[in-house]
Amino acid sequence: MRRGGFGATPAELDKYSGWGYGATVEWLLHPEAQPGLDEDIIERYYIDWKESRNIEGALTETVYRMNGNAATRPLQEKVALFWHGVFATGLAKVLHEKTMLNQIDMLRQYGLGSFRTLLERLARDPAMIFWLDNNFNHKDAINENWGRELLELFSMGVGMDGEENYTEDDVQEAARAFTGWTIDDDNVASIPFGKTPWLFRYDPADHDDGIKTFQGETGNFNGDDIIEIICRQPSTARFVSRHMYNFFVADDVQVPAWQNTPPADPEAIALLEAEYFRSGYDIRSMLGVLFTSDFFKSEEARFARVKSPAEVVVGTLHLVGDLKFPRVGVMNTALECRYMNQDLLNPPSVEGWHTGKEWIDSGSMVERINFVADELGNPAHRGVRSIVDALLERGTELDAGAIVDGCLELLGCVVLRDDNHAALVSQAAELLENGADTESVILNALRMIGSTREYQFA
Amino acid sequence: MTTVVEHPLSAAGLHQYHNVIGLLSASGPGFSGPVSVALGSDGLLHVASRANPNQPEGVRVTRCTFDGDYVGEFNGWGEAPGQFIWVTAIAFGPDGNLYLSDENTHRISVFTPEGEFLRCWGELGDGPGQLNRPSGLAFAPDGTLLVTDSLNNRMQRFAADGTALATWGEAGDGSGQFNMPWGVAVDATGQVYVADWRNDRVQKFDSAGGYITEFDGKDGGDGFARPNGLTVDGDGRIYVCDWQNDRVQVLDASGKVIDTLIGHSGTSRWARTFLNANPDIEEKLNLATQNIELKRRFYRPTAVAVSDDGLVFVADCYRHRVQIYRRL
Repeated sequence: MRRGGFGATPAELDKYSGWGYGATVEWLLHPEAQPGLDEDIIERYYIDWKESRNIEGALTETVYRMNGNAATRPLQEKVALFWHGVFATGLAKVLHEKTMLNQIDMLRQYGLGSFRTLLERLARDPAMIFWLDNNFNHKDAINENWGRELLELFSMGVGMDGEENYTEDDVQEAARAFTGWTIDDDNVASIPFGKTPWLFRYDPADHDDGIKTFQGETGNFNGDDIIEIICRQPSTARFVSRHMYNFFVADDVQVPAWQNTPPADPEAIALLEAEYFRSGYDIRSMLGVLFTSDFFKSEEARFARVKSPAEVVVGTLHLVGDLKFPRVGVMNTALECRYMNQDLLNPPSVEGWHTGKEWIDSGSMVERINFVADELGNPAHRGVRSIVDALLERGTELDAGAIVDGCLELLGCVVLRDDNHAALVSQAAELLENGADTESVILNALRMIGSTREYQFA
Repeated sequence: MTTVVEHPLSAAGLHQYHNVIGLLSASGPGFSGPVSVALGSDGLLHVASRANPNQPEGVRVTRCTFDGDYVGEFNGWGEAPGQFIWVTAIAFGPDGNLYLSDENTHRISVFTPEGEFLRCWGELGDGPGQLNRPSGLAFAPDGTLLVTDSLNNRMQRFAADGTALATWGEAGDGSGQFNMPWGVAVDATGQVYVADWRNDRVQKFDSAGGYITEFDGKDGGDGFARPNGLTVDGDGRIYVCDWQNDRVQVLDASGKVIDTLIGHSGTSRWARTFLNANPDIEEKLNLATQNIELKRRFYRPTAVAVSDDGLVFVADCYRHRVQIYRRL
C-alpha cells in the first residue's frame, strides 16, 4: 500500500489482510467502484476549492484530495500523481489554477485507462497546450514545442538500447499535425470577477492539412493519427514501463539516461512491455501485472524507493488521520510538499521532478523529519491516539522492545536496520527506567521512527 | 468585457436585473468570496468576504452604498477577541450592531457598523450555548438571535448579550432534524426558516421551534441542491440561494416556487474603473468566444437580502460580487 497508495492505517491493514493479496489488488485497480469525496462539504468550508485563485490554493486542493481519497481511492490519486510527474505541467507559466486542476482531474479520470486515450486527452488539455505553446503552433508558422516534448518526454523517449527513437523530421511533422489545436479564453486575469477555465478549441482553418511523414508512415495526419502511431512503437512501451517501474517498484536512473542505460530489471520491463501491447495499451492491465508480479513482491523491491514529498506528506496525514474533514490550517500542511522540494502543480521543468535520492538534500531531509516527527508525536490526531491506545491495551508486557516493535508494526510494518532498532529500544528503556509513563514513551518512539531513514522509503 | 446595460427579467418576470457591485480584491473596493450580505439601518450594504487561506487580509466586512460607493471595511484575521477567520454570516441586531459568526473560533462577535469590536461569545462544544461551526444568523422580532449550530445539527436561540435561551433539532432527515444546516431567516411573525443544507430542503418552524412544514423547491423542476442563504421579505416571499444549482429560488409563503434568478451581471463600477486602468486585460477578456454567458451567471450564490424598497441583493460568492435585482 505504500507503493500502490499512500500507506495504510492499522485498521486498513487488517482489512486488506482479510481480503487477501489478489482481492486487494483488484480493489486498488478499480477506484471508480469506491465512493468519492463529499465535494459539497469541502466546498462549503474551502470556498475557493473549485476556483483556486493561486498556486497555494491549488496545491492545497491537490494534497487535500489525495489525503481524502487515500482510504478509498488510493490508486486513482497515486496514478494522477504519477502522470503529473511524467506530463509535468507548471503554474509558473500556466498561471491559471483551475485549468491546471482540470488537468489533474483529467489524469484521475483517464490515468488508469488506455494510454492512447490518455495522450489524446493530454493533447487537448488546455493547460498543456498553453504550457508547451501549441496555441502558437500555426499552419503557416509551426511551433514544435509540444510536438517535441510529446515524443521526447511523454511517450517514446529520446532513445533506447543505445539507439534514437525519432528524428528531427519526426518532430517537425508531429508539430504540423497538431496545428490548429488551441485554446479559447486564454486570459490569466482573476479580475474583475474571477477566472473561467480555458477550453480546448480545434481551428480547422489553422490546421496544416498537407501530407506528412512520421516514423516512416505517410498520410494526411492529424494529431490523433500521430498519437496512434506513437502508441504502436516499442519505444513507447519501453518508456511507459520504465516510468511505471521507477514510480511503483524501485528507483531507477533518471529519464535522460534511459537511451544508454538499460533498465535495472530488464525482465520486469519486458513483462510490462508485453502487457502494454497485449492489453491494447491499457494502464490498468499493466499495473495489474506489476502489482501481482514477483519482482514487485520481492524483498529487493521493499523499501527500494525514496518516497516523494507528496507520499511523505499524504501518507503521514493518512496514517494520523488528520485533515479528513475541512479545518483551518490545511494550506500550511499542504505547503510542506513544497518545502520538501516537490512544488505540486509547479514542477521545475517539463521533465518533471527527478526522483530517488535526488529528492534528498540537507534542507529537505530536515523538513521531512520534522514534519513526520511532529505529526506522529501528536496524540491529538486520532490515528496516533488509536496506535497509542492499541499498545496500551497490550498491558503490562509493554517493555521497551514491545513498545518499539508495536509502533513499527502499527505504522505499517516498518523495518529498521538492526542498529537503528537497537538504538530506539535502548532509548525507550532509558525513558522507562527514568520513570516516564508508557504513553509518552510510545509517542517518543513514534516520533523517533518517523525520524529514521527507513520511514523515508516506500 | 463590454459593459452590459440592459436589465433582463427573471424567469417568471417578477424581478428585473438592476445592478452589480463587486470586483475581486483582497482590500479596498471589492470582495473576495462574499458569503453574507446585511442591510444596515445606516442605509449601507455590508458584505462579509471569506477569502482564502493565503489572503488573510481579504477576510473582512466591506461597507458600501447600494449604488456601489465604497465606504470602508474592517477585518482582523485571527483568533483573538474581535478577530475572525472563517466568517460565515453577518446580521444586524435591533441595537444597530453587526453580529458575525466565525466557524473557526465557534464564536459570535459583535461590532458597531463601523467595525469597532464590542463583545463576543461562544466556544466549541455541544452543550447549551456552546457551538460547533455556527453558520447562519437571523434576529427574531423579539430581539433574540437565531444561530444555525451547523455541526451540532441544531438551532440555538440567544439573547443579544449571548445568553443561551433555547435549542432545538438533532441530526437526521426527519421533521425537525438537520444535516449540517446553514442559513436561517425569520419572518415578521417570528416564524423561522432554516436551510437544511445536506437534506436539500428548507424547514419552517414556529417561533418556539415547533416544526410546521418543509419545502424542497421542486414544483415540477429540480429541487434544491444544498440550499444555504435565505431571507423572507415583507410580503412573506422566501428567497433561497439554491447553491449547487447556481440560482436563487423565490417561493411564496406556501412554499411554491414563483420565480427563479440566475444572474445577469454586467460590469460593476469598481470593475469598470479597474478595466479602464488596465485596457490590456480588457482586451484579453474580449478575446473569449466561450464562457461568455457563464460569466454573467451566479456561481455559488451564498446569501440573499431584500431591502424595504424591493431590491434583492445576492452574494455571488465565486464571482466576487453582489448582483442586485429589483422586485417588479
